[in-house]
Amino acid sequence: MKNLRFYYRMRLTFDQPVKEHDFALRFVPYSDSVQRIDIAGKTVEPADWLQEERDAFGNHLYIGRCSRPHDYFMYEVKGTAKVDAGCRVKEPCRECYAYPSKLTAGEPEVKRFLENVCLPDGGAFEKACILMQRLYDVFAYEPGATDIYTTAGEALRGGRGVCQDYAHIFIALCRQCRIPARYVAGLQIGEGATHAWAEIYEDGMWKGFDPTHNRFVDDVYIKLSHGRDYTDCILDRGIFYGQANQEQEIYVNVEEIV
Amino acid sequence: MNELIERAETINQLLARYGVKFGIYKNNTFHEQLFPFDAIPRVITKAEFEVMEKGLVQRVDALNQFLKDIYGKKQIVKDGVIPEEFVFSSSGYLPECEGILPPKGIYSHISGIDLVQAKDKSWYILEDNLRIPSGASYPLIARELCRRASPATFRNNGVIDNRNYAALLKETMEHVNCGGICVIMTPGRYNAAYFEHSYLAERTNSVLATCSDLFVENNCLYYKGYGQKKQKVGALYRRISDEYLDPCTFLPESLIGIPNLMSAYRAGNVSVINAPGNGVADDKGIYYFVPKMIEYYLKEEPILKNAPTYLPFYEKDRSYVLENLEKLVIKDVSEAGGYGVVFGRDLDKEQLERMRGLLITQSRRFIAQEVIDFLDLEIVEGYERVERKADLRAFVLTGEKTRVWASGLTRFSRNPDSFVVNSSQGGGFKDTWVLSH
Amino acid sequence: MGTISLEKMNHLFWLGRYAERVYTTLRMFDWYYDVMIDKNPMEYQEYCRRLAIPDIYTDVENFTQSYLFDGNNADSMYANLMRAFDNAVVIREEVSSEVLSYIQMSLDALKLSAGCAAPVLELQKVTDYLLAFWGCADDYVENEESRNVLKCGKYLERLDLYFRFDYPTAMLEKEYSKLKNRMCRVKLVCYDEKLEEFIQIVRNPEARKKKYTEALELLGEAVEV
Repeated sequence: MKNLRFYYRMRLTFDQPVKEHDFALRFVPYSDSVQRIDIAGKTVEPADWLQEERDAFGNHLYIGRCSRPHDYFMYEVKGTAKVDAGCRVKEPCRECYAYPSKLTAGEPEVKRFLENVCLPDGGAFEKACILMQRLYDVFAYEPGATDIYTTAGEALRGGRGVCQDYAHIFIALCRQCRIPARYVAGLQIGEGATHAWAEIYEDGMWKGFDPTHNRFVDDVYIKLSHGRDYTDCILDRGIFYGQANQEQEIYVNVEEIV
Repeated sequence: MNELIERAETINQLLARYGVKFGIYKNNTFHEQLFPFDAIPRVITKAEFEVMEKGLVQRVDALNQFLKDIYGKKQIVKDGVIPEEFVFSSSGYLPECEGILPPKGIYSHISGIDLVQAKDKSWYILEDNLRIPSGASYPLIARELCRRASPATFRNNGVIDNRNYAALLKETMEHVNCGGICVIMTPGRYNAAYFEHSYLAERTNSVLATCSDLFVENNCLYYKGYGQKKQKVGALYRRISDEYLDPCTFLPESLIGIPNLMSAYRAGNVSVINAPGNGVADDKGIYYFVPKMIEYYLKEEPILKNAPTYLPFYEKDRSYVLENLEKLVIKDVSEAGGYGVVFGRDLDKEQLERMRGLLITQSRRFIAQEVIDFLDLEIVEGYERVERKADLRAFVLTGEKTRVWASGLTRFSRNPDSFVVNSSQGGGFKDTWVLSH
Repeated sequence: MGTISLEKMNHLFWLGRYAERVYTTLRMFDWYYDVMIDKNPMEYQEYCRRLAIPDIYTDVENFTQSYLFDGNNADSMYANLMRAFDNAVVIREEVSSEVLSYIQMSLDALKLSAGCAAPVLELQKVTDYLLAFWGCADDYVENEESRNVLKCGKYLERLDLYFRFDYPTAMLEKEYSKLKNRMCRVKLVCYDEKLEEFIQIVRNPEARKKKYTEALELLGEAVEV
């Protein structure tokens, strides 16, 4: 068990005012059997109104709108998290996590990858471990090689990518092996940006894998959202009117409280 | 009736006058073309319609229950009636709609069920359209004009007046209205069915809106009025597909959707007609299971037959399909609008082999059907009457009760060799008469 | 019916303007065409100058065909009627199918008259349908606000054209009072003072010449859409 203090901030700056800005945010972590969250403060601005709700995947969603012209948009959240991966309880699994999604489709590259891996007959966990190791061996971490629309197959073809791609490929592989898997967006200990990893479902329980770092998800990870793939977990979505160029700045800090 | 047929040209001129057109994109530019009207109606007797009506109500009720089940308890899957894979890997299944119960539990408010009649006069269901079936406006306005062109025809033939469609539609919208105005939402004038959107708005006295007229505030949908007035929308008959509906939930690049509409819908503050996620029930793969749904949910024998269908997914069906490919029609479940339909008899040896390969490796992607011996309908071409393939889209509206519109869109292919009657592939249409005797 | 969106009001206003533009310029065209038959074949140059459209025409024949029927010529009668249609087709439910049908028919009639030897005769149909359109609009456009906005567009356009073609002050006064009458009944943003200034210029023959451009600008700015 670990006690973590977290701070997460996103700021968009527009070089010209935009208006009629609708947004949907998944930036606030919420309590479940693994993490107990205490929010010390959260801000979204500018906003005419803000509404909290649950999306279809169970994530906490904040929707809102700013209709007047504005040249920046920001949110921030801070608080503490008591994380204990050992406390995870059994829960049912949504059927959709067993089937490929758009970004985790069973593309030829995904199938070819599997042909070159020798998987034991054993359980899902064992298979997932081998897949994660193999992926870590052949795939290189390199920002800029992919974008948010890159599918698992495309990323594999290029051989390089970021945490989102690691997670997508890993999930695509698992699903091809009939292991239900889901995408997770969240924060990881340290200073920097948001992170993405995956969970697989075995014996009535979700288990976290971080394929980017080739390790299991333990008590230094804080989940923000989960879903079939990146698209379901997007931390901030927005639509606005205006011809502005935007600059995004993200800051994350998670540290252990001793 | 001869008088009516003699005046076909006049009726077509009247249709042009009222701008009865549909849009198509050719080489990336938008064209509007008239939808050719053939004056010889399809005639359905009272007795025939009564059977059809019962069968359609039964089918749509079962489909609505299926949708409620799939986005809820999923009992039909748990009971093994439909393999899980057919439901959850369908592109029409939207997990984003899980757990949302639409107002009054209705998913498919306006269903377009396509049927064909075989030479032995029996009707077969060709496909279900539970997303945004279009076409009702054409026979609706055509009837109006036919009555003007030849009153005697309607004085003498006992044809049930079909001009109640607008009232039926209005009732259907009002039945699920969550408080507020009824809006018909169109992607804009360059949509293929724009005529229909604007005509139905006029006939139902609804507001016709595009995304820029609508916005969500505190989980309610509003119509932007002129002069700072906004009005709450209680029912949204949206004529855009699910993936474009809400850029904050579905495709982020959609420029024709309403951001956060899904939240207002989930909160129960607006009805979305038809409900998002219906695609899971009109998938060509799910079609095979509809008779089983009727038995499962309603404990009834299906009244209307499916065309004999095989799922290559099942070992037994697959071997039949591989052996009889030449006489079957193969449909790609992911395609719509008459595309992705291949007749085995049109394929050469090499193509047949390729198709067999696909049927084995991608068995979930296709269905195979026996080719139905259509009962062709007469149309006038020049000075003679010729026979052409035709289908019927019946409109079934679910409000307080499920009702079948006593008419429908009869489409025919103008090409004598074609079995495809879709208007986007150059067909024409006929009025559909249901007789009162 | 309840509220109408600002966008639809915009379409109504411009439908009014373009329908009027075609109707009135058709009448002007008749007059100029008559002069060109046997008096001055180059009279169309004066017509273009008054309308402030570029004279891209080679002779009277070219002018007649291109100005009337060429959809690629942005200043043509056809292009203007097409704009009326574009504004009308998106508000079918507001103006009704009946009203829309007259715009559709005038457009079809204009298309059919292309290339004919006696254009004025053929174009009579276009005029007939446009007159029917206005008559029909009075009866079928149920929302009073919508009718008023449509008429605002019409009278504003008419003032503009009458001014360009140097109509007598009395006629401009008449249209001016019609416009005022409609303007005070709509929620569009209207600048009465600009309209007032415009009519002052109209009333003074000296100012009419001197402040020609300014007058047209004032008129253009009188209603914000």
